[in-house]
Amino acid sequence: MSVEGVGEAALGWVWAHRDDFALGDDALAADGQVNRTWKPLGELTRVCASVSLCTPPAGPLHARARDLLDFAWQQTHRGELFGLMQSLEPFATYPLEIYAAFASAGFRSPGYEASAAVVARTRGWRLTEQYPTRRLGVLEAERHSGIRPHGSAAQALDRTWLGGLPEPWTFERAAGYALTHVVFHVTDWGLAPRGVPPGLADYLPHWLPPWLDTCLEARMWDLSCELLAVAASLPRPPEPAVLDDAWQRLATAQDSSGAVPEEGAAQDAAGADAGPDPYDFADCYHSTLMTVFAAALTAARQRDADHAGQHAGQHAGQGVPG
Amino acid sequence: MEQSSTSALLQGTVLDLASDVVSALRSGDHVRAGSTLTAGGAGEGVARAAVRVLGADALLPSVLLRVSPAPGQLAVFKDAVAAHPPRADAAPAVVWSHWAMARTLRRLEHPLTGPDAAEPAAEPGADWLDAAGWQTLTHQLAVLAPLALPGEECAVTRAARRRPVDVARGFVRAVRRRDWQQAAGAGRWLTLLDGVPDTLGLEAGLDFVRLMGGSDPRVVLQLEAARLMPAAVLL
Repeated sequence: MSVEGVGEAALGWVWAHRDDFALGDDALAADGQVNRTWKPLGELTRVCASVSLCTPPAGPLHARARDLLDFAWQQTHRGELFGLMQSLEPFATYPLEIYAAFASAGFRSPGYEASAAVVARTRGWRLTEQYPTRRLGVLEAERHSGIRPHGSAAQALDRTWLGGLPEPWTFERAAGYALTHVVFHVTDWGLAPRGVPPGLADYLPHWLPPWLDTCLEARMWDLSCELLAVAASLPRPPEPAVLDDAWQRLATAQDSSGAVPEEGAAQDAAGADAGPDPYDFADCYHSTLMTVFAAALTAARQRDADHAGQHAGQHAGQGVPG
Repeated sequence: MEQSSTSALLQGTVLDLASDVVSALRSGDHVRAGSTLTAGGAGEGVARAAVRVLGADALLPSVLLRVSPAPGQLAVFKDAVAAHPPRADAAPAVVWSHWAMARTLRRLEHPLTGPDAAEPAAEPGADWLDAAGWQTLTHQLAVLAPLALPGEECAVTRAARRRPVDVARGFVRAVRRRDWQQAAGAGRWLTLLDGVPDTLGLEAGLDFVRLMGGSDPRVVLQLEAARLMPAAVLL
């Protein structure tokens, strides 16, 4: 199956299960479980925002991604809930991080942006204790939400695992998730490969192949998808043979429903005759979203390369030096 | 039952022999090393088979440190070369392993009486390495780590020199998979290659492999070889 085919099937699963991303009554409860409410909705939005911006309007992924963005925006009562969330947890950063995904796709709430800016002016907000990778994400969220970023992205980057160019054999799961998000933040979720600093642009093509290979072998499908999205976010991607092999291996993990499980353990638990919908939502929604994300970016880079090739061909035909 | 005890005996002999080589590399003197290779003993067949497993590295101290092998060691080594020429359909790594052993004998100026020694130019091809992906390349090079020697010039070393980034990727993969023997073998090659990305952190990587896999003398043998590489001058 083609990369786009894998992505289309995964987005089909997301569409069929969109109600599972809906916010329930507990979304604004004092003891609400953010990881089960806002987090999946925010991730849906994040992926659909990027997909809608990197796919051609007539392509198979674009219209559905836009529809899912409309669906997600409706879930927030067209942005009204962000203000309510802020009144409950004024100094939490996650509402702004989720809001920024909507804002990047053109869904905005001027009222929320104004009140978020008030909070972001405090020393308390600037001094929020968090991992360097997360700090980078908050800075990007501020930028997308019309707020002056409270610090330097370059400084935040230097303090991340990836920014320090670690020995590649020290890669483990947690480092892997940290590094993928660093790349997502500096490239505006794959849309701006030139945001990758030169040192990282050299480093990542060297070491993505063994990271991908070992994650795929360990059936860490979710992290594998994120690494494939990283590969498609670089100014100079790894060799085509590396990516072709990885996509083929990932495709073997995709269920006929389009779902891709997070890890091999979910496949083992589902067994051989698991029926038409073999995985719990929690065990596959993120990896399936990441499959859509990686596939859309990979196809976009392929279109860029084809376009550049045609362009070069035209110039060559006209006798213009390349 | 008999087969499994034979195989356990062979495995134990391989480890003993690897320990002997490590001791010799560390002390610089084969005499102070162990004496797993004693010609004419009851375990001669097993010793010969163990030499085949370690390949040319069984005499690595002589090659790297310029000390003459003990007569008993050399005799078993020569027997191992002569008794098991690779079959016509042998895998490339087997053919090259044999070639490396024959070459070692020639280097030590004890030419084997036979076609291998008489035709030093009869070098096998290494096309299979050029066609291999980086994972297979690294695995095969680790198997052929006895060829990773300073100044060695053959089709395998040329193939390795053409792909330093791929071997470095293979090292990362081997560490991730906790395959310390492959990691150590790949690391030994990497000490010889130009163009390895600095970000690999090879020196710390070899220390890490020793920390995690250093209980296996076959791993330590490769690490000791890697340690001696920059200073070593090939015979």
